[in-house]
Formats: sequence, structure tokens, C-alpha cells
Amino acid sequence: MKFALSSPQGRPLVRAMTLAGPAYVWLLLAVFLPLSVMLFYSFMSDVPTSGGNWSLTFQNYLTFFDEPLYRKLMVRSLGLSAQVTLICTVLGFPCAYMLAKVIRGRTREALFLLIILPFWSNGLVRIFSWNMVLRSGGVVDWVLNHLWPWTVNTDLMFSYPAIVIGLVHSYLPYSVLTAYLSLQAIDDSLIEAARSMGAGRLTILRRLILPLAMPGMLAGAVLTFVPVVGAFMEPRLLGGRKGTFIGTVIEDQFVAVFNWPLGAALSFTLLALVLAILFAGMRLSRRKDK
Amino acid sequence: MKQDNTIGSLELDSPVLSNAPHTPRRRMWSVGAVLAAIGYGYVVVMIGFLYLPILVMALMSANASPLYELPFHFTTHWYQALAEDGVLKAAAFRSIEIALWTTLLSTILGVMASLAFFRYDFAGKRFLQAMLFPPMAIPWLITGTAMLIFFFAIGIGRGLHAILLGHVALALPYVIIVVGARLRTFSPELELAARSLGASGWQITWRVTLPAIAPGVVAGALFAFAVSFDQFVVSYFLSDPGETTLPVEIYSAIRKGFTPEINAISTIIIVVSMGTMLIVSRLYRFGGEQ
Amino acid sequence: MALIDKVLKRALTCVMATAALASFTAHAEDVHVLNWKGYGTDEPWALKEFEAKTGYHVVNDFFNSEQEMLTKLRTNPGAYDVVMVNSAFNQQAREQNLLQPIDVTGMSNVADLNPKMRHSHLLEIGGQSYGIPWVWGVTSFAVNDTKVHPAPDTIQALWDPAYKGHVGIRDDAIEAVQFAALATGQNINDIKNLDAVKDKLKALTGQLKTFWSSENDWNQYVASGVFYISTYWSGSAARARNKFNLPVTFVIPKEGAIGWLDSLSIPKGAHNVAGAKAFINYMIDPGFYTQWDSRVGAPVSANVKAVAALPANAFNRAVLANPSVQSRIQFQEPITDDKRKAYLQLWQEIKAQAD
Repeated sequence: MKFALSSPQGRPLVRAMTLAGPAYVWLLLAVFLPLSVMLFYSFMSDVPTSGGNWSLTFQNYLTFFDEPLYRKLMVRSLGLSAQVTLICTVLGFPCAYMLAKVIRGRTREALFLLIILPFWSNGLVRIFSWNMVLRSGGVVDWVLNHLWPWTVNTDLMFSYPAIVIGLVHSYLPYSVLTAYLSLQAIDDSLIEAARSMGAGRLTILRRLILPLAMPGMLAGAVLTFVPVVGAFMEPRLLGGRKGTFIGTVIEDQFVAVFNWPLGAALSFTLLALVLAILFAGMRLSRRKDK
Repeated sequence: MKQDNTIGSLELDSPVLSNAPHTPRRRMWSVGAVLAAIGYGYVVVMIGFLYLPILVMALMSANASPLYELPFHFTTHWYQALAEDGVLKAAAFRSIEIALWTTLLSTILGVMASLAFFRYDFAGKRFLQAMLFPPMAIPWLITGTAMLIFFFAIGIGRGLHAILLGHVALALPYVIIVVGARLRTFSPELELAARSLGASGWQITWRVTLPAIAPGVVAGALFAFAVSFDQFVVSYFLSDPGETTLPVEIYSAIRKGFTPEINAISTIIIVVSMGTMLIVSRLYRFGGEQ
Repeated sequence: MALIDKVLKRALTCVMATAALASFTAHAEDVHVLNWKGYGTDEPWALKEFEAKTGYHVVNDFFNSEQEMLTKLRTNPGAYDVVMVNSAFNQQAREQNLLQPIDVTGMSNVADLNPKMRHSHLLEIGGQSYGIPWVWGVTSFAVNDTKVHPAPDTIQALWDPAYKGHVGIRDDAIEAVQFAALATGQNINDIKNLDAVKDKLKALTGQLKTFWSSENDWNQYVASGVFYISTYWSGSAARARNKFNLPVTFVIPKEGAIGWLDSLSIPKGAHNVAGAKAFINYMIDPGFYTQWDSRVGAPVSANVKAVAALPANAFNRAVLANPSVQSRIQFQEPITDDKRKAYLQLWQEIKAQAD
């Protein structure tokens, strides 16, 4: 439902610009202009300051199509991100639901805060702590060995599951809290009305609650999917030799060699793919609404 | 007169759980109650998962081995070392200060921008919304390098001001998306109604809209704080050598020697945050009840 | 109110003027040093000693990779007085106009430097020094004595199936390629058979558990049993033994090892050249070096007198100064950007295929 809040002064565009202006001016100065420099670099053969001859070229972008390595890693990263997003959304929803609809009062606030808090622990320290939990001889092993009569040696560290666990842990609060925001706004009387008309629990969930909670869940999904595609810390530290993803490869272009143009080109290709996916998703959901 | 159908803060009469609103409760363990119990257990398990690495981190801060070796030997050695470590403490305070400023600025700017998107339709709106994704999608290494080059080129250079500039820019998309999700559950008619009663634009925002979307604003602010407080890549590029932030110190310490002092300070921060939040929640209910 | 205002304003101006003056005088006596963190130039006791001797105050900045070091020099001209540049990167830094020639008059310890290193073609161009050799070391591998005994004498031990899943290597394309070159009997600076290197590396990834990227990583992984055998630096292995009490033995196998020489240079546009020269002279001083090696653990000094001043059983003196060992070491030469990119891509492809 879109409509313009008509006001005596000015057209919608002017009013919108005064509200959104400051934020976007900030973004322009701090992010868009710097990234434009990077975008320009991505069309160069060499960065000017390195003293070599440089020329404009598409080669860096073509490399993505020439070399199967980057395509492969891009698919791998997108897949990882999709998995993590799905797991976070599925795990987070029931939690959010409980918080929003079932638990009341002080307990709810306390839980709300408890869920936010892990955010404020340092990400690197968290990853190292996962190392302690997942490695052979770590916490998981210890607990399992005390519960199970046989000796178990689960070595989850330096594997794909470890990366997923670390990422899900870092991004779960996003899913819980964004879903909570939408769920909490659902009027209880709506649900009561549905019940009084004889709707069963599942129907209410499917027809009433999920659609109304969609904005929040989508926001949480986006806030998870987008950053995880370019993640490099968790793959590197938790994945060991299995931790090669597009994010780590982009980092290498800046850290191991001086190939900023290629690194920049890969980043913008990544951005384009992510935007395309989001756009496609929006189109799909728009069609479903009709 | 009203039956007290609550178990703690769990209201069994909540319309969500009761099957038929007109039939009074007879059995203690109805389907609703079982679901609720499972739900409660689920939340506990989720909280447990979220806090597992945090607890391990806290535990290791009191472990004697500098290489995180088990078996566990209790010591307060790392906390003592921390008390004498001026650099780490200064970095921690700097991070908190920057995060607070980032939260303030990005929340204000982000809410304004969110309102603009919510109220008005204008040319270029989709484009502006799409522009929220580059800061999130593009790996921080690229953004950080780009910022460094650009800030030097235009004379801003490095330092705390540069870090603040970068952090707010990184946090803005989160605030805008989260507040936007909450606004999606807010009905525009309320604003229209208020205007028809003669309220000015500012009054509408302050008295009608903001209170209704308060949980979204709070969530956005908390995310902004987390984004800033945990940011180490961009901070690494933009900080002056003598004045770094805590995540940058931790990131640099990985090369030199990552002692449990890091765990000690992280544990202290979590404990202090927990305490602060509990106090704040006592004074101010932000559950967003209507 | 007006009087208070005036007094406050005056007080503020006074404070600001003093601060400005203080910062100005502080800058005049500062030496800005750029290096890896925890690598000799930021030892607190050393900086204190240096300041007491010369009056110069040292301000440290750090980098996490050679590329970052070059970027910092490029984007901050004049910000640094001393920079530590791996000799294999000296050519690149020079070609990008980042370094200035060093006039060694007045630097008393330079005469005692190992002449081969002092006049190395990597550092001395046209009779002018662009870097003072500082310390050198070897990248080879170390074993956990409790898991691997006796210590092997061949590099092929890294490929031994007995250690599958417990091998470590640094995630560095150049190092990986050069190790495979050693294992296939090639010159690390002139690899003719890249396919053999590729095959060797493919086999190696099957042996690996994970990569290490810092001393800290390495020590933790050995302590927790993740690594039985892993590549490592000579100085760091000594530190692991002495400081962290890890049961490790550093091995220089018969196939050889990768040698590197770190040097100290003065960036172009440095503000305090006198201070820079004094600092560099201090860094190659035997007095500093013996303390550094005994307190913390260090690579081998390029100053022969400094090495001779070490206790006889010190690793740096006993093992690395041994001529038969030295003959097996292949020192790294500069690599062209194109080769570097090619090696990186090769390494990334191999890593990406790790099942």
C-alpha cells in the first residue's frame, strides 16, 4: 500500500530528499565515492601508483568468464550463504515467535537482551572459541565422551560444517530479532478473530502469521545472505584447507599480490550477482502477492 | 474474578495458544501448553547455542595456559596482566566511544531515511534502496582500502574521525533495512488520521510513528552498535597506529601472540554490557507494547 | 561572566600553545618505524635503551603483509623513517620510487656485517645501499618430537602418509610453490617444471589439516595436536622451544630450505634520516641482538660479530652458522609481478579443489 503523505509544503520528492538526504550524503562521501575509485581501478590493467603502464581494459571482468576457478568459488560462496541464511531463518523463527507471542513481561525483555549480547563479543575471539569447542579433544568431544559409553572423536574443526556453524552462530541474532520485529506487531485480536472463525493452528500459521512476519524474515535473510557471500574470516579460520571461497580469493588479490584491479572486478561481479538474486527474489514475491 | 492462568510469564489463555476461545480451560496439559513447553525448551537450547562460545571464551580467560591448552588450571593472571595493559584498555574505551557515536548518528540518519522510503514514492527510490547493498556485499577489505585511498586523496586522512565516518556508513544500511521492516507493519492510515486531526509533520513523526516503530529503532541501534564495535577490517585501514580500536588490537595481536588477555577483556565487556542492559531494561520498557 | 570567559579563553590558548609546542618538539625527536608487529623493532626494553643512548623516541607502525607495507609507503610519503623490507621485495620498492640510498658514514656496526649480504645484488645497486641487511633466517619445517621421532632428514616427510591430516603449511602461494620446487629438486628462483610442482602441491593438500598464518596459530596448533609436522621459520621455532616450551625440532633437510634476508631501509622523504641511521645501527648492534635472541628469540643477525657473541649452543650459532647447512639454503630472489600472480592463481586452484 503505497501512497504519498501529501503535505502543504513541497512535492514528495523534496520532502523525501530532506529526510533521506543526510544519510545518503554520508554514504556518498564515505562509501560510494571511494568505491567508484575502486570501480575505476577494476577497469585498469594496473594501478597507476605502482609505476607501471596502465590502460583501460575489460580483462579483469573477462577473467571471471575465462577462469573456471572464480566461477566455481562464486557458486560455492553463494551456496554457503544460501545454506546459512536458510538455517538461520528456520532456526530463528520459532525463537522469535516465542519471544513475540508467548513470553511476556520481564522475561521477554531479558531474553531479548540475551540474544543481542553475543553480537557484542568480538568476532575473532568467538571464532577462536569455536575452535576450542569443535576440535578433537574440545568441548563437544568432552561432552560426548562423558555421555556416551564408547570413545568418540568428533573432529569438526577445519571443515565445511565448522564454517556453517560459525556463520550461523554469528548471524542467528539477525534472524531472530528481525522476525521478532514483525511478529510483535501482529495484533493479537487478529489471531483471536481467526480462531473464532474456526481456523486451526497450522492454517493460522500459514495464512496469517507467516505472511505478516514476512517483512521481518526477509530483512533478516537479506542481512545474513549479503554479507556471508563475501565472508573470509570464518572460512579461513574454521575451514582450514577447505576454506577457500570467493571472499578469501579476493582478499588474496590485495594481500598476497598487488592485483587490485582483479580484486575489485571480482568484488563488483559479486555485488552484481547478489543484486541480481535479490532483484529476482523481489520479482518472485511480487508475483506471488498478485 | 479473572482466573490467573499464567505459568510464570507464560499466559495459557493467550489467544495464540488456546484452541477455542469460548471454552474455559479444563485440562492442564492441552496441546497449547505442550507446544508452549516445547517452545520454551527450544528458546533455552537456542540461547545455549548462542552462548556456548561465549562461555568457553570466559572460561579460557581464567585458564593458565597461554596456548589455550587443556586441562584447565585456574588463574587470574590474565586479568592482572590486563589491568596493567594500558594499550588494550585504551583501545577498548576508544571502541566503545566510537560505537556509541556510530549508533547515535546512524540511528538518526537511518530512521530519517527509512521514513522517507516509507512515506513517499519518488523517482529513483528503487535505485537508492539498491544502493544500500554495496557496503554490505563488497568485502570489507575492498571497502577499507578504497576508503583509505579516497580519504587521503581528499585530505581527510586516517584517525578516529575517519573511522567514525566509515563505521556510520557501514551501519546505515542495517538501520535502514531493520527500521524499514518494522515500518512495513505500521499502517499509514494512522499518519493520515493524525494529519486530518491537524497535527504537523513533526508531531506525527514524534507522537505517532516513532513510538509504534520503537522496537525497530532500538533493534537498528543495537545492530549499529554491534557493526561498529566488531568492525576490524575497515578500522584497521583507517586507524592511526597509536590510536587503534579493540578489534584492531586483537587482529594485530594474532600475529604477535594471542594471549588469553584478549579473552579477559572480551569477558569483561560482555559482563559489563549485560549489567548495563539489565539496568537499562529496568528503567525503560522497550518491548513496544501498544 | 565576561571576566571568566576571558580567563578561560586565555587559559585555553595557553594550553593549546603548549600542546602544539610539545608536539612539535616531540616530532623533531621521533623516529617512525614500520615493521611486522613483535619483530624486534618494537621491543619495549630495546626502545628504552635506544632512547637513553640517543635521545630519539621511537613510534611504531605495523603491517600484516609485504603488499600492505608497500601500500603504506605509497600512501604515506614521509610518514616513516625506517622500514623493514624483505630483500626479495627491495627491488620492487626501489622501482616504485619508495626508498632512498643510505649513506653509511657514522654507522659503526656496518663494517661487521657479513660481506656477501652487505653487498648483495638485492640491496646494493650501483655502489649505493638501499637496504642494510638485518637478520636472515630459513623457512623449512619443524616436527613435534613426541609424535615424530626420530626427526626426519628429508623434505618428503611432509608427504608421508603416516602424518596425513596432521601436516601444516602457511597459506602463501610463493612459499608453497617454492617448497614443492625443493621437493622436486628444482631451483626455487628458477622453476622449470611447474607441472611437477602442481602435482606435488595437489598431493600436499591431501595431507593438510589447515593453514597457519602466524606464530601464534602455529604454536596453538602444535600444542593441541593438530600439527605433527609443519613448515615454519627458524627463529620462530627457536622461540617455540625456548619461550613456549613446545617439544619441536627444526629440520633443514638434505633437499635444502628457503632462505630469506630481512633488511632495514629508509623510505624516500623520511623526515628524520639521522634518527633512522642511529636506529638501524642499533638494530645490528651485538648488544641489542644478544639480548633479543636470549629474551625473545630471533633469526640470525647479519652482523657476524653479533652472532659470535651468542652462547655456543644457541640455535642460531650452532646450527645455522654451520657451512654445510648454509650451502643447502636457497635464498629468495625477487619475483616479477606476473610470476607472482601466476603462482597465486595456481595455488588458489589447488586449494579450491581440496575435496
